[in-house]
Amino acid sequence: MAFLEIDGLRKRFGQVEILKGIDVELEKGGFLVLVGPSGCGKSTLLNTIAGLETITSGEIRVDGRAINDLHPSKRDIAMVFQSYALYPNMTVAGNISFGMEMRGVPAAERQKAIDKVAKVLQIGHLLQRKPSQLSGGQRQRVAMGRALVRDPKLFLFDEPLSNLDAKLRVDMRIEIKRLHATTGTTIVYVTHDQIEAMTLATKIAVMRDGEVQQFGTPAEIYNNPSNLFVADFMGSPAMNLIPATIGTSGNALSVVLQREAREPINLPMANAPAGLSAFQGKPIIFGVRPEALTDPEGAERNASHIATADCHIEVVEPAGSDTFAVTNLGGKGVVARLRADANIQPGTNTPLAFNLTKAVFFDPATETRIR
Amino acid sequence: MSTVATSQIKLTPEHARPRASVRSRLQDALPKIVLAPSFGITIVFVYGFILWTIYLSFTNSKTFPSYVLTGSRAYQRLWGWTFDTDPPSSWYTSITNMGIFGFLYIAICLALGLFLAILLDQKIRGEGVLRPIYLYPMALSFIVTGVAWKWFLDPGLGLEQTLHQWGWTSFHFDWIKNKDFVIYTVVIAGVWQASGFIMAMFLAGLRGIDGEIMKAAQIDGATTFQLYRRIVIPLLRPIFLSAFIVLAHLAIKSYDLVVALTSGGPGGSAWLPSNFMYEYTFKRNEMAVGSASAVIMLMTIVAIIVPYLYSELREKPR
Amino acid sequence: MSAVTTPAHQASGGVNVKVINRIVIYGLLALFALFYLMPLFVMLVTSFKTMDEIQNGNMLALPKAPTFDPWLKAWGETCVGLTCAGIKGYFWNSIKMVVPAVLISTMLGALNGYVLTKWRFRGATLVFGLMLFACFIPFQSVLLPMATILGSLGRFGVTLQNSVGTSFGLGNPTVNLVFVHVVYGIGFTTLFFRNYYEAFPTELVKAAQVDGASFFQIFRRIMLPNSMPIFVVTVIYQFTNIWNDFLFASAYAGTGDAMPMTVALNNVVNTSTGVVEYNVNMAAAMIAALPTLLVYVLAGRYFVRGLMAGAVKG
Repeated sequence: MAFLEIDGLRKRFGQVEILKGIDVELEKGGFLVLVGPSGCGKSTLLNTIAGLETITSGEIRVDGRAINDLHPSKRDIAMVFQSYALYPNMTVAGNISFGMEMRGVPAAERQKAIDKVAKVLQIGHLLQRKPSQLSGGQRQRVAMGRALVRDPKLFLFDEPLSNLDAKLRVDMRIEIKRLHATTGTTIVYVTHDQIEAMTLATKIAVMRDGEVQQFGTPAEIYNNPSNLFVADFMGSPAMNLIPATIGTSGNALSVVLQREAREPINLPMANAPAGLSAFQGKPIIFGVRPEALTDPEGAERNASHIATADCHIEVVEPAGSDTFAVTNLGGKGVVARLRADANIQPGTNTPLAFNLTKAVFFDPATETRIR
Repeated sequence: MSTVATSQIKLTPEHARPRASVRSRLQDALPKIVLAPSFGITIVFVYGFILWTIYLSFTNSKTFPSYVLTGSRAYQRLWGWTFDTDPPSSWYTSITNMGIFGFLYIAICLALGLFLAILLDQKIRGEGVLRPIYLYPMALSFIVTGVAWKWFLDPGLGLEQTLHQWGWTSFHFDWIKNKDFVIYTVVIAGVWQASGFIMAMFLAGLRGIDGEIMKAAQIDGATTFQLYRRIVIPLLRPIFLSAFIVLAHLAIKSYDLVVALTSGGPGGSAWLPSNFMYEYTFKRNEMAVGSASAVIMLMTIVAIIVPYLYSELREKPR
Repeated sequence: MSAVTTPAHQASGGVNVKVINRIVIYGLLALFALFYLMPLFVMLVTSFKTMDEIQNGNMLALPKAPTFDPWLKAWGETCVGLTCAGIKGYFWNSIKMVVPAVLISTMLGALNGYVLTKWRFRGATLVFGLMLFACFIPFQSVLLPMATILGSLGRFGVTLQNSVGTSFGLGNPTVNLVFVHVVYGIGFTTLFFRNYYEAFPTELVKAAQVDGASFFQIFRRIMLPNSMPIFVVTVIYQFTNIWNDFLFASAYAGTGDAMPMTVALNNVVNTSTGVVEYNVNMAAAMIAALPTLLVYVLAGRYFVRGLMAGAVKG
């Protein structure tokens, strides 16, 4: 039995259904990230777990106990908000201990708890300050302190890093990961940033339009996206999704990619997924991540199935650690990721290696994965 | 695999879905309970009373309220008076005064307010001193304002007398004692009181305009005059609307100013509908007619305010 | 480089045009300042003059021998109707009416604004709309029913007085005015607080809920301590409005010892018996204006904000 279980959760607001039957579960000590574009219902889902919004049907259980009819304060949860939601009229210490005060915890005990959390988060010197006197990162810490001090069953994070600048965001991300590793708490975390999702999660739920598109480990989501949306949303730079057709090459199936002003590329498939044979002669979407499309010398040595084809390079983007090259296949810009020192010039024809073991295929009509 | 465990736990009463207790339901209802008295008061003392007034306007109430419906007699009398121009009936005077006062008061306040705001927006040294000077009349009671202006406009004491002393003996200004012109003195005092506030509204609007738009227009070669006529004033449209609403409703509500400045003017010649209502209801024992005039005032306000409020509250559904 | 930032018309017009422009602008602004200051100035200087000087001198001249007598007479001796004990009693009447009316209406407005923004329910906008419209009604349309109700309550108060020994304030004109001003003031106070709390971060309320704070705890511990600016604005707005009110005051406390300052002032000024003592009238008007003027001078910024908030909905 999982620690957090969400069963057939629906939320209707007037005529609009915001959550359309969510089923998710998380083991104790797990880190669940709800990710998706804005308006997908991920924050609403978090709010229903917190009890800040009511649900229409379904059930939320924590540690085997249904909590969906309980007041937020009775659910044994703590929450870190996007704006941190620090009470501006109270000191840092007051903010951290407000929840305990409301529960009638004696002052001495509160002080002890404050000191303990302050030590963990290294905010001891800030305790007597008001939130307006803190920097963004410090506020973030205080907000986490307020959650930590209660030692709840479940931590909820609502886009906690989105108000920080890029560098601080990376630092705090690591901080949160470290916190999770050392305290072993169970966390549900909402973000629209797929990198945060990949780096932090033990489980990811990719959401769109009030539905979970795919639920699984970060590796599953990344390598085995179940539909076009997940493939497109997760990963940066995004997966190349190239319109193609299925042809034949000898006995095997092949992927045919149109090029501008040249004959199409024909990539033979040694171990195509079984479902693909039904698409012979029909259009499909061919998905290949930029790191699976490289210069031949940089291609993965142990990949079982690599095909090489000449491509016309339109743009080259040296990014320091890598060099990205953009070519045009199937009428779309396609990004290849090369070694930083790859010798490549825009306007030339260069052979690129397709790692076909990592390639995925989608049905353009249903946008689902062809397996 | 986990289904078995789950269903077992569901069977034990402590872990079953906890029912919402009476207390928690009370907590849920608390916001509405807190709001209820205010809302109830509004419903009874605003909307209930309005209905009551409307009802009274259809009775034959004189000195005391009567609850015998007698049809629209009061309205018929007002309607008749509307065309009673020789000699003008009090109602005719009141509504023509309302027209003159309303139009001039709103137009002059808007023009003067905008003009002063634009002048003040020219990076003026001493703006911090001038702005409060323009605005302070708004903090004063109409009664005080009336006393001051009454004195100032009095031919024997005020402006006329002063100019005579300074040698301009032909100067003649006795509007406040003249039944044809007394309403214009109400306009003067009214404008004096409210125009500074309208200036402040426009100034806030001017300060809210994106400076880059102004820079872009200057680079496009617009002169200062063109800049204001083509760019700034069109951008101030919402302020015009708000200011108009404020002024219109102040104008229709104006009562104290007429009383304090003119005591109604010679023969009631400075009356506005609000004065008409008060006099007929409380002094002339024509309660039904007074109520009918109040209903007409209310309807005028409704026609202006309701569409405005409706659009304001509708725009942000959240 | 500076040529770029100088607007074209100034560069071509030359220095003289620019200077003349500035002179015209400052001249106009000064002229209007005189227009706005004139009545107050006349009131002030007249209130320090003797009657002799008023009748023979210039309205705009400063008093030759400033005297405080008109002020003292206005405060303690002048006749309001038939009683000649000055306006001091009426000044205190106004204070007794204003303070509770302002406090009660502001408190209710704060609670209403809190509910309407942070505890939204179906129909909240309609409720707010109905309360907001109440701000705009001409009070003539409720004047008569309110008079009837207050009259009945007054008679009931007399009955209570005779049977129980206390009227519980029923029939007391000051209590009546407090009630009336609260009733017709909550629309404005609710509007102010609603607009302020609308911009108040809802996440703070959510955080407090998770922290286990109740409806009133959130209000007292989170909302109120962060509402100082809007409190000042609302209190000033209500204070000015209620102090300056004349219509309700004259309708419900227009005669007798309980009349507020504005009504008393109007009576002083419009007394037709004997010689009109302009200096005393002006002193009385100044006294009536002083509290609101004082508030305006001390907290003008908040006063303007209140006016704006009352003017621009949202």
